[in-house]
Amino acid sequence: MDKPKTLWKTWLRNAELNPDKEAIVHWIAGEEPIRLTFASLIETAKKFSAFIYNSGIMKDDVCAIIMRHNHFLYPLYMGISRTGALPAILAYPNPRLHPEKFRQGLEGMSQRSGLDYIFTERELEPLIRPLIEKPGSTIKSVIFPLEWDLSKPADEKTDLKIESLASEVKETDYFLVQHSSGTTGLQKPIAVTHKMMLEHAWQCVKALKITGEDKIVSWLPLYHDMGLIGAFHIPLSYGITSIHISPFEWVLAPILMLEVIDKEKATISYIPNFAYNFLSEKIPEEELEGISLESMRLLINGAEPIRHDSHEKFVNKFQKYKFNPLALTSIYGMAETTLAITYTEVGKPLTELKLDRNKLSQGIVKFADENSVVRICVSCGKLIDGCDAHIVDDNRRIMPEGFVGEIAVNSISMFDGYRNYPEKTTEVFEDGWYFTGDYGFKYDDELYVIGRKKDIIIVAGKNIYPEDIEDAINQVEGIIPGRIIAFGEDDPSLGTELVSVVAETKLENDADKNKLRMEILKAGMSIDINIHRVYLVPTKWLIKSSAGKPSRKANKERLTSGTDPHVWSR
Amino acid sequence: MISNELKSVILKQLNLDEFEMTDETVAPDVPGWDSLNHINIIVAIEEYFKVKFKSMEVLKLKNVGDLQKLVNLKLNK
Repeated sequence: MDKPKTLWKTWLRNAELNPDKEAIVHWIAGEEPIRLTFASLIETAKKFSAFIYNSGIMKDDVCAIIMRHNHFLYPLYMGISRTGALPAILAYPNPRLHPEKFRQGLEGMSQRSGLDYIFTERELEPLIRPLIEKPGSTIKSVIFPLEWDLSKPADEKTDLKIESLASEVKETDYFLVQHSSGTTGLQKPIAVTHKMMLEHAWQCVKALKITGEDKIVSWLPLYHDMGLIGAFHIPLSYGITSIHISPFEWVLAPILMLEVIDKEKATISYIPNFAYNFLSEKIPEEELEGISLESMRLLINGAEPIRHDSHEKFVNKFQKYKFNPLALTSIYGMAETTLAITYTEVGKPLTELKLDRNKLSQGIVKFADENSVVRICVSCGKLIDGCDAHIVDDNRRIMPEGFVGEIAVNSISMFDGYRNYPEKTTEVFEDGWYFTGDYGFKYDDELYVIGRKKDIIIVAGKNIYPEDIEDAINQVEGIIPGRIIAFGEDDPSLGTELVSVVAETKLENDADKNKLRMEILKAGMSIDINIHRVYLVPTKWLIKSSAGKPSRKANKERLTSGTDPHVWSR
Repeated sequence: MISNELKSVILKQLNLDEFEMTDETVAPDVPGWDSLNHINIIVAIEEYFKVKFKSMEVLKLKNVGDLQKLVNLKLNK
C-alpha cells in the first residue's frame, strides 16, 4: 500500500487501520491518565479545525500554540495542520520571566516566523494582548481554543470544505514551523514540509527498528525538536503509542518517568544527558520499590553532549531494576535536519573511544597510552539513510579521518534556510550542506561530537545564547557596561553545563560585591536564566578579542584555570 | 510563618545570604530556585530535618508556606 504523502492523510490512515489503538496517553501525576485513541484524536482534531477555519485562518498562516500540559493540545495541533495552516509550539512563560522580556521574545520571533495567530490560555491574555495592538505587529489575533465547545461534531458542510482543503495540500508544502532551541528573540525559525517530516519519520523508524508494539514515553517539552519530532511526530506517523508527561512535573518528581515505563510497558524514550544523572541520583531507593524497566529497549541520549559517566551511573543504579544496558542509545541531530543525522545501532553496546585529551584539544584523534590524560568519547552512531556528514576545516574543506573539525551535515530532510532570515542562513548553509558549529570527528563510520565552535551554552538540553544573558546583565548598575561575559561551565556531577557570568566592576568591598551579585542573579531571572556562578573582576581585567570585545573563550580559560587574587567569585 | 531553620537550609542550598521569605513566596521569586534546583533543596531539607517526602507531596507544594506545613507534619509539630 502506498504511503500517504501528507501528515493529515497519514494520521487518517492510522485512524482507519487502528481506530481503537491508543495514540496518546496524556499523563498527569496522581490522576488517571487520559487515553486518546487514533480515532478519537482525529475526531477532536476535526472539531478544532472547523473552529480554526471559521476564525478565518488560512493556509500557511503561522499559528503559535502557547499552552501548558493539556490533552487538547495534540488534536488542536492536528486541527491546525488539517486546515493547511502551520502550527508552531512555543514555550509557556515561566512566572519568573519578565512580561516585557516575554513580549520582546515573541515579537522577535514573529518578525522572523511571521506569527499570524496565537493559540493560548485565557490567563496569558494580558501578557499577549499588548503585542497585537502594537503598530506593525504581524499577530492578527489571540485565540483561546480551550474555551471552544467541542461537544458537538463539526458542521458537515464546513467539515467537507476543510477536508477538501486538506486534500489539496502537497507533500512539498510546509506543515510546521519549529524553532532551533534558544532563548527569547534569538531563536531561528525552520519550516518543515510534509515530505521532510514523513521521510524523516520512516528513516528513524528503520534505524531504530520500531515496530507496532513500541511505545514512546516522553517528558520533553513539545517546543523542543526532540520532544516534538522524536516523541510526538514519529509515533503519530507510524501509528504507535506515545505517553506524555508534563516536563514541569517530571523535573519535580523524576520517578514519574520510571512509573510510566513500568505501568505502560514503554519501550523507547529520548532524554538529554543530564537526565541520566538526575534519574540516577534524585530518586530515593524506597520510591523505586517494585519498579521494572525491563520493557525499555531504547533510551536515546541527545540534545547535549553525551557523557560516559552519566551512562555508567544510570546502568549502575538501574540494572537491578532490570534496565538492559544495551538499551543505551545515542542520537546526533538538530532542528535544521528535522531531527536525526545519526543513531547508534540498536541492541549493540555504544562504542566508546579512550583518547588522548591533549592531542584531542590540538585536533588530533589519538588513542590514549599510559602517559595520556584520557578522555572517553561516546559515539553518536552511524549515519541514518538519507543523511551524510563531513568533518571540515575552517575553510570548509573536507578533512581526513583522524582529525577534529566542524561537523557539516546533509539530509533528505534538510531545511531550506531559516525563515525570513537570509543573513543567518548564508552563514551556515552552503551548497546543500549545513555547517553545524559543532566540533567532532569520524572513526570507523561512527560520528563523535566533542565540542562547539559556537559559544552557545547547553543547560539540561536547552540551548542558551550568551548574548541574551549579557544583554540582560549589561543594564545592572555597578557593572562596567559592555564588560561582561556569559559562558557555560561543565558540571560533571550534574552531567550538564551551568551558566557563569564574569563582569568588570569598580566596586571593591565584599558587601557591595555581594549586592551586585544579587542584582546579576535577578537580571538573569528576568530572562528565565539561572546564573550559577558570578565572577567579579577589576576594570580592564577581561581579555579582548581581535574585534575589541571581551573574548568568551579566552576569559573562560583564564578564570577556570587560574587562581588570580583579583577575581572575586561566588 | 517560615521558621528560621527552614529558611536557612533553603538559603544555604541556594548560596544566598539573605532573602525575604513569607508563606506566599514561590520558587520563581527566589534567585537560583529553578525547577532543576528544586529537588536539591528538597533533599537538603530532608537531610537537615531527617524527614522523607514522597514525590506526590513535593508535587503538590505551591509555595514556601506549603513546604513549611509539610515539614511540620513530618515532624509532628
